[in-house]
Amino acid sequence: MRNQKRGKPPAGPSIVAGYRLLPGVPDEMIDAQGALRPGWAKLMAAFDTLGPTELAARFERADQYLRDAGVFYRTYDGTESKERDWPLAHVPLLISEADWARISAGLIQRAELLETVVADIYGDNTLVQQGLLPPELVARNSEFLRPLVGVRPTSGHFLHFCAFELGRGPDGSWWVLGDRTQAPSGAGFALENRVATTRALSDIYSDMNVQRLAGFFRGFRDTLFDDAKRDGGRVGILTPGQLNETYFEHAYIARYLGLMLLEGEDLVVEDGKVMVRTVSGLKQISALWRRMDASFVDPLELRYDSRIGTPGMVDALRHGSISMINALGTGLLETRALAAFLPRIARKLLGDDLLLPEIATWWCGQPGEQRHVLDHLDSMMIGPAFATNLPFEDQQNTRLGSDYSATDKQALRERILADGVNFVGQERVQLSTAPVYVDGQLQPRPISLRVYAARTSDGWTIMPGGFARVGSGADASAIAMQRGGQAADVWVMSSSPVERISLLPQDGQKLVRNSPGSLPSRAADNLIWLGRYAERCEATVRILRAYNARLAELSRPQMPLLLHCAAFLETIDVDAAEGMPTGLLAAIDSAVRSAGQIRDRFSPDGWLALNDLQKTALRFAKRVQPGDDSTRAMTVLLRKLAGFSGLVHENMYRFAGWRFLELGRRLERAVQMARTTAWMTRPEAPDGSVEMLLEIGDSVMTHRRRYSVAAGSQSAIDLLVLDPLNPRSVLFQLTELRAQIAKLPGGIEDGQLSQAGKAALRLHTDLRIVEPADMTPERLDRLAADIGILSSLVAAAYFV
Amino acid sequence: MLYDVRLSLNYDYKATVHGGRHLVRVSPISVPGVQRVVASSLSFEPRPQRESSFTDFFGNLATTVTFLDPHDSLEIRLTARVQVEDIVRPADLSPTLPELHQAIARYWSVEPNSPHHFLASSPRVPLDPAISRYAASATADAASVFSAANALCLAIHRDFAYDPKATDVQTLPSTVFALRKGVCQDFAHVMIAGLRGLGIPAGYVSGFLRTNPPPGKPRLEGADAMHAWVRAWCGQHLGWVEFDPTNAMVAGADHISIGHGRDYSDISPIVGVLKTHGSHETKQSVDVLRVE
Repeated sequence: MRNQKRGKPPAGPSIVAGYRLLPGVPDEMIDAQGALRPGWAKLMAAFDTLGPTELAARFERADQYLRDAGVFYRTYDGTESKERDWPLAHVPLLISEADWARISAGLIQRAELLETVVADIYGDNTLVQQGLLPPELVARNSEFLRPLVGVRPTSGHFLHFCAFELGRGPDGSWWVLGDRTQAPSGAGFALENRVATTRALSDIYSDMNVQRLAGFFRGFRDTLFDDAKRDGGRVGILTPGQLNETYFEHAYIARYLGLMLLEGEDLVVEDGKVMVRTVSGLKQISALWRRMDASFVDPLELRYDSRIGTPGMVDALRHGSISMINALGTGLLETRALAAFLPRIARKLLGDDLLLPEIATWWCGQPGEQRHVLDHLDSMMIGPAFATNLPFEDQQNTRLGSDYSATDKQALRERILADGVNFVGQERVQLSTAPVYVDGQLQPRPISLRVYAARTSDGWTIMPGGFARVGSGADASAIAMQRGGQAADVWVMSSSPVERISLLPQDGQKLVRNSPGSLPSRAADNLIWLGRYAERCEATVRILRAYNARLAELSRPQMPLLLHCAAFLETIDVDAAEGMPTGLLAAIDSAVRSAGQIRDRFSPDGWLALNDLQKTALRFAKRVQPGDDSTRAMTVLLRKLAGFSGLVHENMYRFAGWRFLELGRRLERAVQMARTTAWMTRPEAPDGSVEMLLEIGDSVMTHRRRYSVAAGSQSAIDLLVLDPLNPRSVLFQLTELRAQIAKLPGGIEDGQLSQAGKAALRLHTDLRIVEPADMTPERLDRLAADIGILSSLVAAAYFV
Repeated sequence: MLYDVRLSLNYDYKATVHGGRHLVRVSPISVPGVQRVVASSLSFEPRPQRESSFTDFFGNLATTVTFLDPHDSLEIRLTARVQVEDIVRPADLSPTLPELHQAIARYWSVEPNSPHHFLASSPRVPLDPAISRYAASATADAASVFSAANALCLAIHRDFAYDPKATDVQTLPSTVFALRKGVCQDFAHVMIAGLRGLGIPAGYVSGFLRTNPPPGKPRLEGADAMHAWVRAWCGQHLGWVEFDPTNAMVAGADHISIGHGRDYSDISPIVGVLKTHGSHETKQSVDVLRVE
């Protein structure tokens, strides 16, 4: 419109017409002359062709994909931690092949340099002795882990996987803003960025020669497994657990690369070897991709208060029996003040300047540098010298000198003078902008690149794109996702068509099967409990539905049948007077929590179904009244539970993991059915109890068909306890339990049944020969207790 | 002086322990010119399934033991014969505080004895402004680093009461300072915080005291248990000097050291991870007898 007013025809795609650059800030899409950079013209033209409606629909498709895949990260606001949807900025960031070549070369050089530095710090310490690295930066650094001094990594290298944060400075060149060497996160999110973005823009993507990411992961995975081969080849991801902000990613990468997802308590160190507790006993693990900060890894020699570590891990590293990615202690390289010394170290060690410049840094522990910082206080970011986060992410402790009031600035000066060792001055971070799509319009937002590097047998490789961070406003400091920033896919353009790569084995490659029997005991335990809680929810919902249906009919809670039923519910901590009882909510919550521990073991669909169940239940809790209202609510929950069970059971590979889930489900159903039948067939049970029992057991129709008599205790017990064909009967559960227990690792050895196997056989046989008349309520209660003991036998054999 | 040292640490568990892994640091080490370990033997009851030793960063002897079987108690026994040199301390050649800071700035090394390791907050001794102020006023008249350290050692002995009931092994120096009460470990931590607050490198020493005093001398406080004191770096010439704030003295031939670190956490007698839910009761007994 504006162009037309000036009488010119629209120059280029109309979607760009409203894009207003920030004054003095370089932009990724528009060059200094106001023209679209290569690649962008094509992308924008494609956006134009789609038109606003279609474009919005495409972007919604990407969001829908992320929601369906269950991609989330955690945020902390004060004390509460919450799961958030992954904030995808839909417009990919385009990087030219030439830019990328410069970035790659620079980062490979930097990774090599960092390796040399960290090897020296934990080795001969020549850098300090030669005056290239101040001793304070090592000796006063909480990331300098003394127990690791002198421990050479068994792989020969400290660094295997690093990330770098890059920004484009005002002069148009890319700068390194920070190094991530401790336990870099985000590579899995980069993959998801890519998948989601290509869902939206698949036609454009395949048209633009975008470099693929899968090859990077394949190379890294192959290196991991090649290195691990000699010791049985088990490779795991060491995660702090499901409360970690990027736990989704740990589970995702574990699934994607076929690694075991392990927590500290899954591991035990024996004879200097790291073993994983699995359902088939202890199995050696030979490489760990660590996503836990190093100091938490071993409570014996590192942080004594760590509750998530593995005692003896440092000892195992000393024995050289495990490869740690990255080595413990490499977090020291993230120290902000270290950047001040890297250019000189590079010249000395590599005989070369850094190919990629880094953010200029002055450490105030030296008199000359301290003076420089004090003289230029206003234009500098002042922060803690030993911080390991990025200056523009550290709102709390890092501020521009000019942001201080006069009094505060004087106080700051005095602190820098008195305690210079702990301060660092850095030039102000300025970032370039790139377009984001907001309310149908493109707007410039500050961006930083996160680039991943992995060591393979051929040296360092750089992941070609995948992850940029985008600010929530014009301010560069708002780029952190904890504060509303977004993530965008990064497309590295290639001048020639790219090869399609996937992680599936290619023709001519050998197919490698992971060894079975490596199910960690903790995962198996959680699977059993997930099965049990889900089944417990179902049993409770069925009883509540039967109860409330009768309450709606009679609207007299004092009726004997209702009182009898309510008394039973009380034995499982459920208050029948509540429309959506707290006890049921607790059981659902327990199921979600067990599932949360084993996100890598079942499909995202199952996880979403379970979460949906919980959300619905919580919504019901706010308004559902006992009676008709509750009856309908319970029917909804029952359907959702069935949906969850179906998704999990129909889609899970019939392996040890599925077997434990199935065991949990069968154990719980057997216990619940035995107990409910006992209660409802007691001599004092009021009229209508047996009919109610049949309804709870979902067997009213079958009963009508199989018995030509009115429902009585005998026929109900026959059908719900002793019938081998009724999938709800106790006998049916025991038949399944017997079969599954025999198939567990060690289930039958030298022809002998395991303890649990024998117990299951005994219970099964008892039920096969007993007459309905002998199945008294007392005997049914004893049966429930015996099944509980069976559950303990399984736990003792596989989880201790 | 030649000593025979006997240590017994007893842990009685309230609930049966189903295995565990411990890191034990109670065996004394030889330090050239200071002490020489003639013989040393460490044993455990019950016997651990695995046992191995290594030398840690600061040069201390650490022993890892693993128990796989259930047990209700654990006893750690040490017997050692140690020759302690009676050092004749040279005259106070230590620098002034500003000179010390220059000496530290010229010290381009992070070897285990480097003063740089002993200046910042450490896990059990966070720098504490109140203790720093106390240290500054206690040492206001001191002309040298040695006399400053000595003055702080005497001040702590004067101002703090020995009271085993006032604190436990986890108590932080700030609490001890507020209470003005504690035991050897607490006084050592307060003194370390004070010295570091002044910019004097300071570390923690764990060890034993001779049980029976020489004729005519009083029995030293803390002689019936493991003891702790402080080492301070008094410049290039004097090097590390050990002070015992519990007994207001420079550590000498009565002090047999096990080892040292930045604070208690680097040289605690036992670090352990147990598979149990219960608590435990600890008893320790120490005998240090002069052989000749």
